[in-house]
Amino acid sequence: MPDLITITIDDVEYKVPNGMLLTDAAKLINIDIPVFCSHPKLDPLGACRMCLVEQDVRGRWMIVTACTIRVAEGMKFRYASPAATQAREDTLEFLLINHPLDCPICDKGGECPLQDQTLKHGPGVSQFQEIKNHKAKRYPISDLIMLDQERCIICWRCIRYLEEWEDKPQLGLFHRGDRSVIDFFPGQPVDAKTSGNIIELCPVGALTNRVSRFRYRPWDTKNIDSICVHCSQGCNVRLDGRIHQLRRVVARENMAVNDEWICDKGRFIHAFADAPERLTTPLIRDHKGGELREAGWEEALALVAQRLAFTADVQGPAAVGALGSAKLSNEAAYLLQKLMRGLVGSNNVDHRGGAAVLADPRGLSAIRDVEQADLIVLAGVDPAEEQPVLATFIRRAVRRRGAKLLILHPRQIEDTRYPGAYLPYKPGQEAALFEGLSRGLLQEARVKERAARLAGFADLVDGLGNAAVDAAGAEAVRLMLSAQRPMILYGPALVSGRAAAANRASLMNFALLAGCVERTFYLAPEANSVGARDMGLLPASLPGHAAIGDAPGRERLERLWGVKLPTQPGLGYDEMLEAAAAGRLRALYLVGSDPASQGPAGQAALQKVDFLVVQELFLTESAKLADVVLPAVSWAETDGTFTNLERRVQRAAQAIANPHSQAAPDWLIFTEMAKLWPAVAGEAKAEGKKSKRKSSGAARQWGYGSAAEVLDEITRAAPMYDKLSWDALGDEGTQWPLADAAGSPLSAVASRRLTPPERRSVAPGRDEYPYALVAGQVLFDYGTLMRQTEVTERVAAPVAVSINPADAAREKLAAGQPVSISSAVGQVVLPVRLDETVQPGTLWIPYSLPGAPAETLLGSVSAGSGARVRIAPGALSSSEKVG
Amino acid sequence: MAGLGDVVRGTVQIAEAMGVTLKALATKPVTVEYPDEPIAVFPRYRGRHMLRRYDNGLERCIGCALCEAACPTGAIYVDAAENDPENPVSPGERYAKTYEVNFMRCVFCGDCEEACPVEAVVLTQAFPLPEQERRSMIFVKEQLLEPPDANIAIRPAH
Repeated sequence: MPDLITITIDDVEYKVPNGMLLTDAAKLINIDIPVFCSHPKLDPLGACRMCLVEQDVRGRWMIVTACTIRVAEGMKFRYASPAATQAREDTLEFLLINHPLDCPICDKGGECPLQDQTLKHGPGVSQFQEIKNHKAKRYPISDLIMLDQERCIICWRCIRYLEEWEDKPQLGLFHRGDRSVIDFFPGQPVDAKTSGNIIELCPVGALTNRVSRFRYRPWDTKNIDSICVHCSQGCNVRLDGRIHQLRRVVARENMAVNDEWICDKGRFIHAFADAPERLTTPLIRDHKGGELREAGWEEALALVAQRLAFTADVQGPAAVGALGSAKLSNEAAYLLQKLMRGLVGSNNVDHRGGAAVLADPRGLSAIRDVEQADLIVLAGVDPAEEQPVLATFIRRAVRRRGAKLLILHPRQIEDTRYPGAYLPYKPGQEAALFEGLSRGLLQEARVKERAARLAGFADLVDGLGNAAVDAAGAEAVRLMLSAQRPMILYGPALVSGRAAAANRASLMNFALLAGCVERTFYLAPEANSVGARDMGLLPASLPGHAAIGDAPGRERLERLWGVKLPTQPGLGYDEMLEAAAAGRLRALYLVGSDPASQGPAGQAALQKVDFLVVQELFLTESAKLADVVLPAVSWAETDGTFTNLERRVQRAAQAIANPHSQAAPDWLIFTEMAKLWPAVAGEAKAEGKKSKRKSSGAARQWGYGSAAEVLDEITRAAPMYDKLSWDALGDEGTQWPLADAAGSPLSAVASRRLTPPERRSVAPGRDEYPYALVAGQVLFDYGTLMRQTEVTERVAAPVAVSINPADAAREKLAAGQPVSISSAVGQVVLPVRLDETVQPGTLWIPYSLPGAPAETLLGSVSAGSGARVRIAPGALSSSEKVG
Repeated sequence: MAGLGDVVRGTVQIAEAMGVTLKALATKPVTVEYPDEPIAVFPRYRGRHMLRRYDNGLERCIGCALCEAACPTGAIYVDAAENDPENPVSPGERYAKTYEVNFMRCVFCGDCEEACPVEAVVLTQAFPLPEQERRSMIFVKEQLLEPPDANIAIRPAH
């Protein structure tokens, strides 16, 4: 608590915290000084002159700006005096001189500070009778934001946001006086990943949202508090709906998660929820090779329940599998694995990025912790593309607190522009890179001394050898050793694929040697990557991270569910697809999962399955192969909870409902399907004969009436979700505590043990495949949720293979030229794009491009993010053409 | 038994009554042969809505939805969209993609007219609104933009 000091406003003394801005202090004592340029999240500027008050300066009353004055003991102000009031009225009159007053067509109308303050503080008349200045209206400053220069009152908020939070000064003030305009620099439209926040910051309608433009009026939308589900950060948003459509997404303040910012994907990419291509009715294919026909829910659910139960009976439960998704809510993920384990009796349940990734289920300690670090190590993760709001916090740490960044990434990502070090590597060299750094650390006597106490030290020193450390490595080691509060963030790319275990071991060795293993955090990729693991949407782990083989944990769930659970671990994502291709997996249930879009291998596997059920929003590539398609609803159309990368369980409440669609929430589909399960239905019948009123045990197990009731059961199934409830979560969610994880499998993740490095046979880069393919996430890809949006084509990543200009010159490739790229498992054709951020000797293709070129070349998701490829000009065969 | 006085009184009363009848025969009838003839309404009578156009053919309505906000019965529904600059529907950037008035709800109060910043929506004197179905009581923009001849006459102002 800061010291309280006494200030005088209008002859009344008030106690306010020392050093606070006068506008903020006045707010505490219920004096509402009007502001435009001042904003609690931006540095004070004093540009708009709206907050003028009088101050006693050595006995003379002077007009000053309240938003730039920090209060101190004994200061005297006048707010309501005639001179101060007159000054504010005059300011407003001047601001309105050239303001077009086209409020009826302005999107800000109804929630506009200029309107509100004109009514509250304005003179009510204008003395200005001349012709207003005319400037550019309808002037796009980016693909997503429209500028109206006439409406602008030059408050600098947009300029300051881009400088202070994004650290991308892409807007500037041009000309002077009444000709002043906000503009971008020639040929460089705004492309910051969180640029949409300037729309909300704008105190007038100068900056408007091109996706939602003219599609809403603030007073007639139904506004529901929810969260964003595009990435793992779980930014708090408000969904504005009208006539059953999602018209606008705006940010909601949650200081712990997103401050009050959201990224452009969260703000602009929501058209999928209302897309006309959405599935609206269940579809059934009566025989293989036939067409999908529309069907009723009863018929479709009974068919799925019977076929899955029949396959489990005849072929054994291991012949049935389910692939969920890390985009499913906790409730959907929990019920999917409960259905598979409890009714089918199979542990074949996983999701993309599930068992194949050696994720640390504890995630990040807390999102805002990154702002306290003085060295942030980004290992194989690019927050600017993967969690853009987290990236703004990292930039804030760099800019405001002088933090340094140590970046290890195959591509020279954007944040390498900051002080620190950048260590490039090619996929497959991760472990070697960390071993090099460990060697560097061990050259320091104090590190060696401290590490000598750790188990496995001798083996590690032995395994590391004594090869020299290069200059970049030495610089990284120096940064690491000079940091007081280092923090290591690593992403799924580092801990998936064949070398996942070795990579993680080498990373953990490095962290242990640097004394920062407690501050080494995994950044989960998707909206509910953490939650899906907590819910047991994994082949070898039950809800609450109880291992399948862990008898007490299993028995606890057996009592809760009233069934016997299978004891053998099931198959993972890739193993299930392999088993399907080999004919061992006979029935597959896909929920929000689309393996067929990941190249020919996935398609072939799905075609071999006897019975394929797809529960989806759209008729995806996989759904086109399905025997039964069940229409699900998006996150905006049902209640659900999601657990973000810092273990925060947050609510996403239902905002809209399409009355013309029969699509149903996932939890309801699972519940109704379970009631039709032959065993459950039979039991209910048998019990019904005995007593009309009493329902069966199994049927009672599946009697959920709402998503909140499912959450109630989750709190009993997963110990860390204990005490949570839909109401208790509130608007800001709750982090599940790590303290409860002591003694559980979670605590085993952080062993303080050094692991000797693996002996790797160094595979020489064979001439046959001279390039390393680098695949990774970009913010605007072509995933299922992006594909349906009109803005996609304007902002999405270029459909191309990026190559270093030096490599392109050697291969004699020109930009835009189609090239054929082939790996051991696949071949694609893409145009060339020259990109200096791509290392020589590597090719960069983002995931989720049309036709899935990266996935095709990698072969499977668990292959990690790298493969060896070769490149040749021209299209080799038209049949394999992509895009 | 009726006396002579009664007969005389009766005759006078009949003659008086017939006098009224005969006088009425000579005056013009007030019945209006609607719909063959127009009905005269007062100049400020508030009837069915019309969306006006400018002389150059552009719609006045800019889709601001202030009429919708002002409507006390929720009878108006407006959905706006952005004008194609090459081929605008209305002047400026915004136009009404959808404009509907539900005449089962409308109370003809004229608040929409008051709220309109561009004098696009006005209440005409047209009162005939019978329809066969409830559904067709919701008038869409095309119907409101070009109202049919309502066959009414305006009474001279007093």
